[in-house]
Amino acid sequence: MIQAEHLSKRYGATTAVDDVSFTVRPGQVTGFLGPNGAGKSTTMRMIVGLDRPTAGHVTVNGSAYAQHQAPLHEVGALLEAKSVHPGRSAYQHLRALGATHGIGARRVEEVIALAGLESVARKRVGGFSLGMGQRLGIAAALLGDPHTVMLDEPVNGLDPEGVKWVRTLVRHLAGEGRTVFLSSHLMSEMALTADHVIVLGRGRIIADAPIQELIDRASHGAVTVRTPQAEQLAGLLQRSGATVHSAEAGVLEVVGRTAEEVGEAAAGSGIVLHQLVTQQSSLEEAYLQLTADEVEYHSGPVDASPTPSGATAPLTGSTVR
Amino acid sequence: MTTLTTTPVSTGGHARRTSPTGSVTFPRVVHAEWIKFRSVRATPWTLGMTVLSMVGIAVLAAWGTSSLAEDPGTMSALDTVQILTAGWFIAEITVVVLAVLSVSGEYSTGMIRSSMTAVPRRVPVILAKALVVAIASALTTVLALALAWLAVQPWAGSLGLSLDLGDPDVLRVLLGTPLVLATVALLALAVGALLRSPAAALATVLGVLLVVENVLSLLPFVVVQRIAVFMPSSAGTRLLQTPETLAFLNENPDTPDLSAWQGYGVLAIWVVLLLGLALTLLRRRDV
Repeated sequence: MIQAEHLSKRYGATTAVDDVSFTVRPGQVTGFLGPNGAGKSTTMRMIVGLDRPTAGHVTVNGSAYAQHQAPLHEVGALLEAKSVHPGRSAYQHLRALGATHGIGARRVEEVIALAGLESVARKRVGGFSLGMGQRLGIAAALLGDPHTVMLDEPVNGLDPEGVKWVRTLVRHLAGEGRTVFLSSHLMSEMALTADHVIVLGRGRIIADAPIQELIDRASHGAVTVRTPQAEQLAGLLQRSGATVHSAEAGVLEVVGRTAEEVGEAAAGSGIVLHQLVTQQSSLEEAYLQLTADEVEYHSGPVDASPTPSGATAPLTGSTVR
Repeated sequence: MTTLTTTPVSTGGHARRTSPTGSVTFPRVVHAEWIKFRSVRATPWTLGMTVLSMVGIAVLAAWGTSSLAEDPGTMSALDTVQILTAGWFIAEITVVVLAVLSVSGEYSTGMIRSSMTAVPRRVPVILAKALVVAIASALTTVLALALAWLAVQPWAGSLGLSLDLGDPDVLRVLLGTPLVLATVALLALAVGALLRSPAAALATVLGVLLVVENVLSLLPFVVVQRIAVFMPSSAGTRLLQTPETLAFLNENPDTPDLSAWQGYGVLAIWVVLLLGLALTLLRRRDV
């Protein structure tokens, strides 16, 4: 359990984290999303006491991280990729960290096996690929068998197999009743992994909700209709007050009517429908909408956020307002 | 990554049973620092250089004395110790490098984030590091002195070398060398913890010990001379001087007199102040 209350961090004139309050609950995977520079890493660093909050405070499993007698048993954290001495072997790195808590060689071998690092454990970390470095970071996070696991961009640099491994691992950890808090900028991955999402934008929380709720909220219930009588149906719906766009001939996108209402309207006028679908936004669309709003709200320079690919782009564009 | 096999997830019960729930204690932090200390290559390099330079300079001193001295057969026990410890000024550089890297190397590599996450109270990490570095520096110096004694044996007869551990001055210089070097290492460690950057810390410590102190001692102004007496290395290494040299150093009526142990005390005060400052800032600053 992680509880942040009115947490703020300012660096001179820059506010990295601005009065943030949230709770990360045990037994589920909580995703932490936000554009680069939104304050995710800073927040995570404050959770484990590396950065001192300018205001507010954060507790882990009931007390401030530094107040725990055995911090590594409370929180296992993977922070910015390289938090290791490149001249030291993975094995010695983990041995040294474990030694502070009396964690011995056996547990170190266990987490090395868990992370799939057996073949490189005795080699110096300086020669590790980004992916191996991430695996070592995750091994270090699990060293103390912590109640709370916090991973900052854990799948960075991992191959597809590694990504799947992390997903399975964090689901499993949450299934054991642990608190799992992870940040990622891979929305599709987060959609598969997380139960709950906290979205940070410019240091403020802009969403804190179950993932499905977030997606539903973003969907706006747009309905796609494929019909050979598109003009007739469009006219019918527009007269009743719905908004209708047509991206291609024979396909309508209807906002303001449910699929049922569209179907009944069509049936009432004897219009043939070939397809009738309620649009489901992806997490990525929901996220981009949220963060785009956030950027607009602050009327600052708009970040060059990635546009959603392919056919979803016009829909997202039309549903933002 | 393709060579790595992914172990099926099996965290379940993996450790709640196999790893004892242990709290962070100072002895455990010292153990961790010891593992860190011996698992990087800087350690054997700098400690090896310490031994090599101490032994090498002792041999050069014995050889040089035997070929240059007018009456070489009459070396006193104190002269013998002066030969054995003649390499202290190079050993001072190598232990400074060791001590600075042990702490600032953690900042430059990012290791400090792992260290301070494991021990979020922070202060024990630096204290444990200081303990490990100081003991390693002292023991290495003792080893170097023993090896130096063996290495100068070819000249022992011709120079009349002898070790009289009953002589208080002999004992002071012999034990003072590891003590001073360990203390200088602590000074360097404190500066490393303060400045965090290896380059900045090395430049500062070596700059002060090797350049600033020597320049100050050469400037012919009374004020500067008074300051120079209290510079860390100048003061601390009084512990390694013969009574004659100490008398010479205290000859200047304008500067305060410092005995061998008073000089060492000045160095120790430098260490306490700098380490105290470093630990205070360590608690306040973000990692």
